[in-house]
Amino acid sequence: MSTTLNPCNHLSDYKQRYGLKGFNLIQKWVKTSPCGKTLISRSKSEIPRCSFCCGYEGRLYICLICSSMSCSLSSGSNHALLHTKTQIGHEIAVDIQRSELYCFACDDQVYDPDFDRAVMCEQVLGLGNVNLEGVRSNNKRKRLGFEGGLSSDFKIMKRVVGSGVGGDWDHGRRLSKSCFPVGLRGLNNLGNTCFMNSVLQALLHAPPIRNYFLSGRHDRDTCRKTSSDRFCLSCDIDIICSAVFSGDRAPYSPAQFLYSWWRLSENLACYEQQDAHEFFMSVLDRIHEKEEKTKNTNKDNGDCHCVVHRAFSGLLRSDVTCTTCGFTSTTYDPCVDISLDFNTNVDHISPNKPQKSTDLGISTLTSCLDLFTRPEKLGSDQKLYCQSCQQRQESVKQMSIKKLPLVLCLHVKRFEHSLVRKASRKIDRHLQFPFSLDMTPYVSSSIVRKRFGNRIFAFEGDESEFSTNFEVFAVITHSGMLESGHYMTYLRLNEQWYKCDDAWITEVDDEVVRASQIYLVFYVQKSNSSHKSGEDVGCHLRSSPSGDSFMSIAGCC
Amino acid sequence: MSAPDEDNSSDHTQLASHFFGELLDSVIMDVASECHRIARLGLDRNLDDEEEELRLSAQARAKVADPSNSEANSKYVVDIFGQTHPAVANEIFDCMNCGRSIVAGRFAPHLEKCMGKGRKARVKSTRSSTAAAQNR
Repeated sequence: MSTTLNPCNHLSDYKQRYGLKGFNLIQKWVKTSPCGKTLISRSKSEIPRCSFCCGYEGRLYICLICSSMSCSLSSGSNHALLHTKTQIGHEIAVDIQRSELYCFACDDQVYDPDFDRAVMCEQVLGLGNVNLEGVRSNNKRKRLGFEGGLSSDFKIMKRVVGSGVGGDWDHGRRLSKSCFPVGLRGLNNLGNTCFMNSVLQALLHAPPIRNYFLSGRHDRDTCRKTSSDRFCLSCDIDIICSAVFSGDRAPYSPAQFLYSWWRLSENLACYEQQDAHEFFMSVLDRIHEKEEKTKNTNKDNGDCHCVVHRAFSGLLRSDVTCTTCGFTSTTYDPCVDISLDFNTNVDHISPNKPQKSTDLGISTLTSCLDLFTRPEKLGSDQKLYCQSCQQRQESVKQMSIKKLPLVLCLHVKRFEHSLVRKASRKIDRHLQFPFSLDMTPYVSSSIVRKRFGNRIFAFEGDESEFSTNFEVFAVITHSGMLESGHYMTYLRLNEQWYKCDDAWITEVDDEVVRASQIYLVFYVQKSNSSHKSGEDVGCHLRSSPSGDSFMSIAGCC
Repeated sequence: MSAPDEDNSSDHTQLASHFFGELLDSVIMDVASECHRIARLGLDRNLDDEEEELRLSAQARAKVADPSNSEANSKYVVDIFGQTHPAVANEIFDCMNCGRSIVAGRFAPHLEKCMGKGRKARVKSTRSSTAAAQNR
């Protein structure tokens, strides 16, 4: 959260003089609606009225010093302002319908972390999430046990970061035109194998994968001796990696890899065009399986340390909220990529510029991410069981990214399979994508914070050791039709784009890549140049009147 | 002079209008408050960057679609290493399943039959499966 929030003088003066007393008082009156909105309500039986005119219309403010209520109407009558004139120093009030601070001296809404914390605590309690379990789980999903709730010290997933992590660009390799980056080598098409070549190019240049193999971390001799399987995709990739980075520029034929893959994936082995994404998933699976078998990893700690998971594995969070009582149930699922639906609500150029009637707008990758993390109202035929209501209720589901992977693979779902028409079609629509991607709006802490009204509060997972800034390094494009198309990979090395079209490697401008029809986009984390330090991100709920630790509040964060 | 009924209905209408106005004001204020918070806390996305991206994207598409732009639309002559490649890859190597010499560009269809995957294929008796393993 990029806040250098400087409180107005009046607010700081108020806090200096009165401390947190006013906030604590307000905290008692916070009420939460199931949709998550908070309001200040003093009495259950009486409606709030202005102390000047007894009116109940317009905006109502409660003074933080003397708790008197006053109104402000759109007609211009402003009793709230009047109050500050009659009572000198009573400048800070709370908008009771929105639980927001207002400074009448500055005539503006103001923000304070202690106030937000006070509102948050009551809000969370009000949603009925007093539940030690907090995390629903079933066989397939990871059981994460005790959810730490609001404590920012509680880190569920401690990631062991492998060597050669992302952001490790080929620094200092500004090369002249005549000398191209090592590792650039064409791959022969073995007969409709462009799907394989395109994925291999992207994989070989994913920094953690590249570094792993180039530093010899997969020992083929040891692998051959210790494993009973004849086929090992990691061994094959090791060979290809050495070949591609050898300096030999003649196109390489990844025949052994194709053979191994077919032997290991019987159901997909056939001479016809395949889906690159499906192939990619299959390769990751095979590599992971092999590693699991040989290393006998203890499953308890949850994290898999195989090369593919260390590179691509992230964690998705799914929140299901009951629309009746507001109780939220949270589950976590690991993922190695994110598949995005096309967002047909397009981004329009700024409203200032006149829109042509023919201007359909541009679909963007970020709007697809918006769609992915948007709260989705589940149909009335999909009522889910609410623990708090003890019955099935209509719910809202929202996805977010709990933990970002080192290498983020975004899959654009261009191939639509219609069950109704029993046909598939390809969505040819152009999708804009950024070269630098900030994933902050899509991570769980941002999404959950937004759900709670964007209060200033240290949510769990805020202080992550990982950056949310990503840089693109490979793009796999698909051109042509569903049945007979062609895959190509664009690689970005030293800020120059190279087109890898099977055996043909050519240099291209940024525009060519921007204009291409993207299918799989690969981003790698930019490394943090400095650690976050000193910022007050720790929140220990000091303003809580009861002094409870709130550790038991689960399922909301 | 209006009849009592008409008076009532105009009162009702006025009242309804009034309440609607209240509701509308409240909703507008809600949105304003949320946006104000987002802007003040720096949580909003950088619209300038987004606009720039959209502009670059539109520019790129225009450039690529331009028929006079030869770079994007030309067939390959040489790659960046100065090499040229045939439509069907002509490197020759041995099939690791049956041992025969195969042209790279036809390896996949060969392998399919060789492994007995295709429709008309019979599994080729491998020269020896141990030979293939040794070659690893």
